[in-house]
Amino acid sequence: MTDFPLRTSRRGLLVGAAALATAPAAALASTEAEPLHAADAPIEDAARLSDRISPFGPHQAGVTTPRPANGMIASFHVLADSPADLERLFQRLTDRIVVLTKGGPVPEVDPKLPPTDSGILGPVLTPDALTVTVGLGASLFEDRPWLQPAKPRALVRMTQFRNDALIADLSHGDLVIQFCANTQDTVIHALRDIVKSIPDQLVLKWAQAGSVPVIAPPPGAPPESARNFLGFRDGSANPNSADPSLMDQVVWVGPENDESGWATGGSYMAVRIIRNNVERWDRTPLLEQERIFGRTKVTGAPLDQPHGTEAMVPDFKADPHGKITPLDSHIRMANPRTPESRANLILRRPFNYVNGVLKNGQLDQGLLFICWQADLEKGFITVQRRLDGEPLEEYVKPVGGGYFFALPGFADGQQDYLGRTLIASLSPTSQDSSQSGPSTHQVQD
Amino acid sequence: MRTVTLAAVAGLLATTGAHAAEPLDLVGPVSDYKLFVSEQTDLLVDETEAFVAAVKAGEVEKAKALFAPTRQHYEMIEPIAELFSDLDVAIDSRADDYEKAEADPAFPGFHRIEYGLWEHNSTEGLDPVADQLLTNVKDLQGRIESLPFPPEVVVGGAAVLMEEVAATKISGEEDRYSHTDLWDFKGNFDGSQKIVELVKPLIADQDPAFIKQIDANFEVIDVTLAKYEEGDGYVTYDKLTDQDRIKLAAAVNALAEDLSTLRGKLGLD
Repeated sequence: MTDFPLRTSRRGLLVGAAALATAPAAALASTEAEPLHAADAPIEDAARLSDRISPFGPHQAGVTTPRPANGMIASFHVLADSPADLERLFQRLTDRIVVLTKGGPVPEVDPKLPPTDSGILGPVLTPDALTVTVGLGASLFEDRPWLQPAKPRALVRMTQFRNDALIADLSHGDLVIQFCANTQDTVIHALRDIVKSIPDQLVLKWAQAGSVPVIAPPPGAPPESARNFLGFRDGSANPNSADPSLMDQVVWVGPENDESGWATGGSYMAVRIIRNNVERWDRTPLLEQERIFGRTKVTGAPLDQPHGTEAMVPDFKADPHGKITPLDSHIRMANPRTPESRANLILRRPFNYVNGVLKNGQLDQGLLFICWQADLEKGFITVQRRLDGEPLEEYVKPVGGGYFFALPGFADGQQDYLGRTLIASLSPTSQDSSQSGPSTHQVQD
Repeated sequence: MRTVTLAAVAGLLATTGAHAAEPLDLVGPVSDYKLFVSEQTDLLVDETEAFVAAVKAGEVEKAKALFAPTRQHYEMIEPIAELFSDLDVAIDSRADDYEKAEADPAFPGFHRIEYGLWEHNSTEGLDPVADQLLTNVKDLQGRIESLPFPPEVVVGGAAVLMEEVAATKISGEEDRYSHTDLWDFKGNFDGSQKIVELVKPLIADQDPAFIKQIDANFEVIDVTLAKYEEGDGYVTYDKLTDQDRIKLAAAVNALAEDLSTLRGKLGLD
């Protein structure tokens, strides 16, 4: 295992408070003082294959964790006919997550047998800041009478918004896994490991990989948000993911969210595969691009403080008619910055994707949008509804994704596993569970 | 080097670990398997003759009815049949193996005829394709007769058949004009299960949990496929529900993983 900075890939340092709470000391080798946040661009040459992010804690890793350079969402059909089946699936996932995020030598087997590991990381797995985050889709609950009563209150199948053109083969799923790591190989390795390890309970439905650009901020300068494929910084107004009490309000399900007890510590996850019409965008005048977003392109500063930084807060009250920041600009519609709109904060942690060439000969590029919130309806759904009809729609087309509920975290040790509180709530003696019906297995798109 | 002689393989086997099945143990299963393949090949030849005759007589409906059951014999013996890659291409390649797809004059075999029968509802222009198919199937029969069956190919064939299903059948793209994919599924599964049954006694004591798991997945497949039986065969693939397709996919993937260890468990390279 090398501990040199990775030249080709790169990631922020694990000094966010959430990471501090759960990461072993080895992960914190850092000379940086400035905490990185969920959507900050990874810092050039800062990432190491030995970076290790603990999977343990009250919340799953990969949500408030500073975003590394590579990510992927993989969506699966689940085969589970009973609580025992589902428990087995969760335990197997937990086992693999613990192994993959820890790293270490892969087991050697009789060479007459297929190797247990794909080998793409070599004989010793490097943790490489890998996080594996598991979320459940509405169909998992709705298709199983014994699981229906446990469905998180706000979890629904993603519905079509006005500008959406959802492709069935890129949408929804019983269970998603978000993989994030410094390097793409580690992400791919983890996906292949899960697919190979649990073939009888997980059938892959779709997957979308992405990455974020790595930047080299000047010494002493604050971290910057990464740019999307439209060339704008994405994540500037994100809530501070290094502030645990803010994250308790915005991201994590708690007692005030009116959810079943089992869901405490979990989070709603909205995933959107948003195609960008990059050719057309690149043929759009700069001033128009900036009016569409409501920010300057170079720095990300709000239009009312064009020489400022992306961290500055626009004063919409001083511009009631949208003369400076148009009323229909993206940032103004998404977050009008009124006292009421604070309830709609979300934590964005997206990746950019490239999928080759479309039938029309244009580039298939876009944003693998991922955001987290304690209440899906108040969070993403409300924000996206506000965005219906925004001028940016001319240049973007959501084609896939889905809504999921990320399970609460789990503790180190044999007693705990991912999803344990959900399984416990299904037992007839539990107060959480209304009933556990006969197991009729169904799977649905 | 796939067609090594049995003696050579036996020599190789002698060097493998003591815990593995003795080479002699495999002689019985391999010769039983060869018998099975011969029977299926004979049926393939007989039924291809009838199929080709119907095509040449312009009997579209009859040819359509014979298409799936005839192919099923080929699907059952695919691990052996595909040892002869020239014939496999000539008999069973699909339109997407050709740059111009269906319009490509080089597109041959069962699927070329399937395309004409279902997409054009006609046998027009299919005579030479049909003649060539029969010639190739007979050629295959002759080659299989004189083929020494390498044990690692026989044992490995159980997994190969699952890989076939996983890669090209589960998506419904194999028989894309006739949608008779479930017949092919059945052929692949039966071919795989035959191999497992033959070698099962050699590992049943050593690894009962493994056998139990394999049997359970074959059972899932049997039960699921049985829901779609119709007459002597199956309904069209579009009738398969998403739930059942996923159930089949999971069982196939699990079997492909498990059966990929079968060669090693028997000490074969």
